[in-house]
Amino acid sequence: MNLAWFRGKGPQLDEHQRERLGRLLAAEVPDDRPLGQQRLVVLDLETSGLNMRRDLVLSIGAVVIRDDAIDLGEQFEVTLLRPVQPVSESVLIHGIAPSALAAGCDPAQALLDFMEFLGPSPLLAFHAGFDQRMLARALKQTLGYRLQHRFLDVAEMAPMLFPDSKPRHGGLDDWTEHFHLQVHQRHHASADALVTAELALILFSHARRQGIDSLAALDSRLEHWRRRQNAQML
Amino acid sequence: MSKNDAFAEAGKTAVLQNIHGTMEFLRKYPPFIQMENAHLAYLVEHCQLRFYAAGDSILKPEDGPVEHFFIVKQGRVHGERPHSARRGTETTFEITAGECFPLAALIGERATRTEHLAAEDTFCLLLGKEAFVRLFALSSPLRDFALRGVSSLLDQVNQQAQLRAAETLGAEYSLDTRLGELTLQTPVSCAPAMPLNEAVRLMHEQHVGSIVIVDPSDQPVGIFTLRDLRRVIAEGCSDLSRPIEQLMTQKPFHLPPEASAFDAAIAMTERHIAHVCVVEKKRLRAVVSERDLFSLQRVDLVHLASTIRHAPRLESLTALRSDIGLLVDRMLAHGASSTQITHIVTLLNDHTVCRVIELTLEDMGNPGIPFSWLCFGSEGRREQTLHTDQDNGILFEAADDAEAAAIRQRLLPLAAQINQHLAQCGFTLCKGNIMAGNPELCLSRSEWSRRFASFVREATPANLLGSSIYFDLRVVWGDEQGCAQLRSQLLEQIADNTLFQRMLAENALRHRPPVGRFRDFVVARKGAQKDTLDLKVEGLTPFVDGARLLALAHGVEASNTLERLRALMEAGVIETQDGAAYEEAYHFIQQTRMQQHQQQARLGQPYSNRVDPDSLNHLDRRILRESFRQAQRLQSSLALRYQL
Repeated sequence: MNLAWFRGKGPQLDEHQRERLGRLLAAEVPDDRPLGQQRLVVLDLETSGLNMRRDLVLSIGAVVIRDDAIDLGEQFEVTLLRPVQPVSESVLIHGIAPSALAAGCDPAQALLDFMEFLGPSPLLAFHAGFDQRMLARALKQTLGYRLQHRFLDVAEMAPMLFPDSKPRHGGLDDWTEHFHLQVHQRHHASADALVTAELALILFSHARRQGIDSLAALDSRLEHWRRRQNAQML
Repeated sequence: MSKNDAFAEAGKTAVLQNIHGTMEFLRKYPPFIQMENAHLAYLVEHCQLRFYAAGDSILKPEDGPVEHFFIVKQGRVHGERPHSARRGTETTFEITAGECFPLAALIGERATRTEHLAAEDTFCLLLGKEAFVRLFALSSPLRDFALRGVSSLLDQVNQQAQLRAAETLGAEYSLDTRLGELTLQTPVSCAPAMPLNEAVRLMHEQHVGSIVIVDPSDQPVGIFTLRDLRRVIAEGCSDLSRPIEQLMTQKPFHLPPEASAFDAAIAMTERHIAHVCVVEKKRLRAVVSERDLFSLQRVDLVHLASTIRHAPRLESLTALRSDIGLLVDRMLAHGASSTQITHIVTLLNDHTVCRVIELTLEDMGNPGIPFSWLCFGSEGRREQTLHTDQDNGILFEAADDAEAAAIRQRLLPLAAQINQHLAQCGFTLCKGNIMAGNPELCLSRSEWSRRFASFVREATPANLLGSSIYFDLRVVWGDEQGCAQLRSQLLEQIADNTLFQRMLAENALRHRPPVGRFRDFVVARKGAQKDTLDLKVEGLTPFVDGARLLALAHGVEASNTLERLRALMEAGVIETQDGAAYEEAYHFIQQTRMQQHQQQARLGQPYSNRVDPDSLNHLDRRILRESFRQAQRLQSSLALRYQL
């Protein structure tokens, strides 16, 4: 069993892996390009639990938005090789069988594959903060890599752009239901990534009508909206 | 990457969750349902998924040659065409989940002629033209579907219907079979000069019930049947060597080989004959007998009709009603069309009505006054189903009002008795008292004429309702001339009265087809009728009302809805394409209704016209929705024509 991640003292990478790590592209900074010309990677992670310091990334699903469309031919899906997880409630949620984990891909290999797929593109995720921290920690521990890519939170964009129709809890299920989206298999990283991307397409279409057509513009509007939300809370 | 590699690769990516999920989704719809796995995987992984907000233009003529094959993943797409007569646009079709577009433009390598708009928030899968072309070459289900378009959908429905029929009865033939395709015996024929006894010997040797008399060029000039032999003997003919041409029935009825078994059955029933010659290019090809049709269908239509016609007592007629039900049941199971069935039900009902009148006359004594028995409404339109009630009246000739009143007094008891007898035979008494026994409906020709004129002149709601019943009239029994005169007067009056036409048009828009803007069907929200829609009132009535209005306004004499539509197309009142679409739609709704009635009868439930669209299979549901949409189109064309 590969217990490299467990020894804690820096990752053990082979020559080839170090080479690949060195070739990864630096993250893009959000700019004024129209959204249609921006490649975006929509990410969803399944994890062993919700504890951001202890739990592990079990699988990664990602789809690409480019030219305002989701390209079904360009997708990323991997299950990571993990030591047998205690069967907890989270197994019931992500539904990844212990046998699937045992047959998974070496984590260093899987994460390098993902980072190559990602390239310099900004990321989108639902409750992006969680995915960002889980991914950053996995990259740090497994590859000694510091994640600097920008994350945009779809969970935040949705109520900002549709303030009147905000569902009660504002979870992914609520929004997919609100827009009558179909998820092939909820809590499967790829399927969740796809439905998050569909949600994002709806949001972008709506944003464009409000004159927001670049990541930079979206970013500043989110900033503004966050401040107002905080002000209202106080 | 070579082609084979590409498909091997597709096989691998099919395990990806989202590719797999999208394939599963597409597998619910034709043509994807029949496509090979590798081809479908190739399709999905070459797709883009795109979002269109409600009102967004997806594809328009100005975009130039179409570059993508679109599949609706979620939402609805409308086709908008510039309005032919008015500014603005009209919706010509609707496309929903699982359906694809624009096939004709894509295959024709041209721009679309119709702008495609998102009718609500919509996601489409877009397959690039290059990948489409490659799949088109490889996948025959996709190719067939694309080339045949919507007609292939209808084919599938027909195939399903026939499959079901075959399952029920194990039948190999249907009434649609062409006479030319039936395996019939070589016809037995002879020359006009053949002596009677020789002709009969020939029939006996060949085990046939008829012999056709032909001229030297093999053209039929007469027919002689066993029934004729009986007549000849009964009339005391002693000279058995008389030439057959003196005894035969001249000019025998004939049909071309392209005619169907159904046509032959109808001809036999209508004309009370047992043999029909099949003639091609003026030469005798075959003879179809009642017995041939029985063995073909095991449905005793001709026999049933003649049994009704010769029923000795009212009780025997009553007993025969259940046979009609059985017959319709079997015909539906054989995949007979709704038009064939309404035709047959009407025919058998007409025979029953005639026999009831004759028996009642025998019973009560003939008053010796000529009269015609009229029928109205669905009976008048020849559109009866098993579930039918009485709408009838009497027309007679009288010199003046006084004479009319006197005749009426003598006919009314008879009429009332006929109504009662019909009720015993299964024709439910009319709740609105639209029956010949009602003094207001037992009228002389000039009284009817005045009554109809007042309907046209004073368009009160009651009169409008009346015109929608009475103006679909025809004669079932008795002389037809009075009724024909009445009808031509009526057509003249209506042609001159645009105000009345406009009121009829308003009336024809009362029942809106249940297709909503935001959902595909609008069903009842609550109560016992929750989630259902009414096939008759919401689906058929718009066609019936629309066809009646246009027929009356344009001098069309037919009373049957489909015949009216055909006459209107010929007269150029409605465009041929539109008319054909209306016909098909009307036909399909009627078919759905009958299949439902048949099922209700089988389960011992009362007849109902309400159907839950969700209970239909995917294909039927889709076509039903399109059919309702055609009713909507007919209504909007009326609204436009009459400026409503």
